[in-house]
Amino acid sequence: MITAERKPIEDLINSVSSCRRILLLGCNECVTVCSAGGRKEVALLSSALQMHFMKEGKPFEIKEITLERQCDPEYVEELVPHIDSADAVLSMACGCGVQEVARRFKDKVVLPAVNTKFMGASERQGVWAERCAGCGDCVLGMTGGVCPIARCSKQLLNGPCGGSTKGKCEVDPDIDCAWQLIWDRLKALGMTEKYEENIPAKDWRTGRGAGPRKIVREDLAS
Amino acid sequence: MSFQKRLLSGEFVVLAEMNTPKGVDTTQLIQNARRIKGRVDAVIVPDMDDGVMRMSALAGAVLMHQQGMEALIHVYCRDRNRMALQADLLAAYALGIQGLIVVSGEEICNGDHRDAKAVDDLDELGLLGAVRALEQGTDLGGSDLEGTPSFTIGCAVPQCADDKSLDCALELAAKKVEAGAKFILSPPVFDIRRFESFMGKVKGLNVPVISTVYLLKSVGAARYIATNEPGAGISEELIRRIRKASDREMECVRIAAETIVALKALAQGVRIITLGWEHRLPDVLEYAGL
Repeated sequence: MITAERKPIEDLINSVSSCRRILLLGCNECVTVCSAGGRKEVALLSSALQMHFMKEGKPFEIKEITLERQCDPEYVEELVPHIDSADAVLSMACGCGVQEVARRFKDKVVLPAVNTKFMGASERQGVWAERCAGCGDCVLGMTGGVCPIARCSKQLLNGPCGGSTKGKCEVDPDIDCAWQLIWDRLKALGMTEKYEENIPAKDWRTGRGAGPRKIVREDLAS
Repeated sequence: MSFQKRLLSGEFVVLAEMNTPKGVDTTQLIQNARRIKGRVDAVIVPDMDDGVMRMSALAGAVLMHQQGMEALIHVYCRDRNRMALQADLLAAYALGIQGLIVVSGEEICNGDHRDAKAVDDLDELGLLGAVRALEQGTDLGGSDLEGTPSFTIGCAVPQCADDKSLDCALELAAKKVEAGAKFILSPPVFDIRRFESFMGKVKGLNVPVISTVYLLKSVGAARYIATNEPGAGISEELIRRIRKASDREMECVRIAAETIVALKALAQGVRIITLGWEHRLPDVLEYAGL
């Protein structure tokens, strides 16, 4: 999933302080799963903003809507009856959702309420960790299912670097050494010969090397 | 007199671009440089121009310096993060290179290492900020330097197809001047009237403008630029002139020289770009009376 964290409340108050009517927009997908911008977080932020502006004696109206997916034009269209009644939209979706709403409603200010962080997985309750860098040419088949680009601090395709101690990265003892994980996993799978193979320098054109990316499925595109 | 002094005193400056070799044989580079020594104020050494991997600009500039020629280098953010940029800037100053031209690097996907990953840690304004910090005695990490460098910095305005994009480019140029750029390099000039209009717009920046003359090499090159760079202003008449010439190569040299002569009254200098035809620089300079 795409993970996100809500921006500090002071920043959000500042960003909407010139507005009187706000449409606070949640998303029912990734940001709901990582508890950053779903229905519940929309309600909490809405209360916090209302309390703040009430205390300041400033008129402030807020409408809460949580779309199924903010990155999908089909669902964004549901905002049509509501958009004109707001001075600005405060979106709790990831950057994709914010941009889709801004693209659809060109004359409306759309502000981000969360910082989009990374593509990750849940390690345990309340903990999410980066797993995928979206490089566009997956090497997990060669690395025992552990991504060296997303999980090695140096993005080494042929590691380790020599800086790890007891399986932990020198950058932070809370970070697992990705190449230790790769080695342990290949050993457990009886696939240590994979480690002997040198992974060639990556062709970053599949990543961001050739500019912003797009997928076009001819069989589906209208 | 140094390039900086001539620039500040309002004299017409002549700069010539010299590309480094793709390899370690510097014979040609040095030979070409020697042929224009004393006839140009400084040499500009681009850094992997057009995204083509070659010897670094810093090395090229040092080679020019060793020949007794002043050199300016291109600096940009595509290939180096802020640490590497600062390190190279310190190295440049220590090796006698004080002229910088902050440019926007060609996209990786248009170069000859298309599978490479661009760095783009800073942008041009960020890089100018780094230069300013170094000149004030600290690095971007906030640490003090042992000895501070001092540079003369220029920035380039790109070729713009219409007034709207030129206005946008000049807005950015104004920010670059505010961030420390001391002169502006114009895009290549093929149409003097168009350049006059450019000068009218750019004068608000209140910094010297160095015009650019690009040595066309053939009818094909002229046609290519005319088609792909609508803002360049290459006319059909110009293309016809090259096509009809008995010696097309020499006609291109004459066109470049005539452009330089015309620009003398309009700009505070000229940068001559020959892209691989540095051996023709002496002819261009001679025909231009330089």
